[in-house]
Amino acid sequence: MDLLEPTREAFALLLRGDPELLRIIWLSLWLSLMSIALISPPSIALGVLLAKLRFPGQRVLIVLVQALLSFPTVVIGLVIYLLLSRRGPLGSFELLFSPTAIVIGYMVIAFPILVVFTVSAVQGADPRAFETARSLGAGRVRASLTTLWEVRFGIAAAVVNAFGRVISEVGCAIMVGGNIAGLTRNMPTAIALETSKGDFAQGIALGVVLMAVALGINIVMALLQGEGGLK
Amino acid sequence: MSEILFEASGLVRRLGGRRVIDGIDLRLERGQGYVMSGDNGSGKTTLLRILAGLEAADTGMLRFQGGQTLLPRYPDAWRWRAVYVHQHPYLFHTSVAANIAYGLKARGERREQWRRKVEEAIDWAGVRDVISVPPQKLSGGERQRVAMARAKVLEPRLLLLDEPTANLDADGRRRTIALLARLCAEGVTVVTACHDREIIELPDVRRFHLEGGKLLPLD
Repeated sequence: MDLLEPTREAFALLLRGDPELLRIIWLSLWLSLMSIALISPPSIALGVLLAKLRFPGQRVLIVLVQALLSFPTVVIGLVIYLLLSRRGPLGSFELLFSPTAIVIGYMVIAFPILVVFTVSAVQGADPRAFETARSLGAGRVRASLTTLWEVRFGIAAAVVNAFGRVISEVGCAIMVGGNIAGLTRNMPTAIALETSKGDFAQGIALGVVLMAVALGINIVMALLQGEGGLK
Repeated sequence: MSEILFEASGLVRRLGGRRVIDGIDLRLERGQGYVMSGDNGSGKTTLLRILAGLEAADTGMLRFQGGQTLLPRYPDAWRWRAVYVHQHPYLFHTSVAANIAYGLKARGERREQWRRKVEEAIDWAGVRDVISVPPQKLSGGERQRVAMARAKVLEPRLLLLDEPTANLDADGRRRTIALLARLCAEGVTVVTACHDREIIELPDVRRFHLEGGKLLPLD
C-alpha cells in the first residue's frame, strides 16, 4: 500500500483547513472539554472526601471506583445506550445519538480517573502542610483548602489525564453517538470510519491532530509534575 | 517574679504503650527563652506539638493568657499565639512573601497592614536576596529563616522551635542561631528543642532536659 500519497493528501487537507475536518476537530474538542468541565467539580470533591474522611466501607468504595478505571469503554457505551434507548428508563429524553449522549459517556469514563487521581494526590499531600496552616492560625476549612491548593498540580494532572482519555475514546462515542456526520462524528470515530472506507487521507489527517493533542497533553502533564516537585 | 505566660500541668502522652510524656508540669514566663535538650526519641517534639495544639495529650491541662483548657481540647484562638516551627519547615508552594503573609491573612489582617509587616519580617530574617526564589529551591537554612519570619510576623506570645539548626550547613546554622538570639533579646517567649551546644549555651536562657518522660531543670 502506498502511504506517501494519502499522507501528502492528509497534510494538504490540514493546511487548507478543510471545513469537514475542522468541524470534526472542533466537535471532538468541544465535547471533551464540556464533559470534563461538567464532571470535574463533583469528582474532585468526591476524591477529596474519600481521601480525608474516615467512614466504614471507605476502602471498598475506593476499590470500586478504581475498578471502574478498567471498565471497557464499549461496555460503558452499552450501558448508556440501554439507558437512553427508546425503551430504556431515560428514553423519553431522546438523547441517544446526540452530542449530549457522548458528553454523558465521556463523563462516566472521566469520573473514575478524576476521583482516583484526586484521592491519590490528597493522600500524598505532605501532612506538614495542614499542620503548618493550623499552627499559623488557619481554621480547619482554610487549612484544608490550603492543603488542596498544595496538591493542585496533582489534581490538574488528573483533569489533563481525563481529557486525554476522553478525546481519544472511540467505543462509547460510536455506540451512543452513532457517528453521524456533522452531529456526533468526532476524531476517533471519523478515523475508524474513514479507514474502513479506504479513505486514508482524512484518517491520517485526524490521526495527526489527535497525536498533536496527545503530545500537548503529555507536555502539560510533564510541566505540571515539574511544578509540583514530582520530578 | 515575672508573669507566667503559659502553664501546663499533668501532661501525659502514651505512644506504643510507653509514656513518652509522663506527668510533666511546666511554667513559662513572659519574655523568657527556654532550651530543651534530650536524646532522640525522648519526646521533645511530642511535647512541643502538644503545647502548640498539634498533637493531643492523653491527659493534662494548659493555661495560656488567662484562659485554660483541658486536653485534648485546644482553643483555635491560641494557635497563632503559640506557633510551632517544624524541624524541617514546610513552605507552601507559593512565593516567599506569600508564605510569610499566610498567618496574617488567615487572621484577617488588612492588605496594607500585612504587606508592611511582611516587608519588615523579610529584612528581619535576612531573606530579601532570596525573595524571588521558589521556596522549594531554598537551602535548609533559608527555609528555616523564612519559617521563623513567618512565625515571628504573627507576633506570637510563645514560639516553639523544633531543632532549628538540625542538618544545616555552618552558615545556615550561624544565621539561624543569630535570629534565635534576637528573638530572645526582643522578649519573645521561645522554647527551643535542640542538641546544638551553641543554642544550649545561649546567655539568659533557661535549660531543661527531657528524659524518661520527665522534664528536669538544668539551671
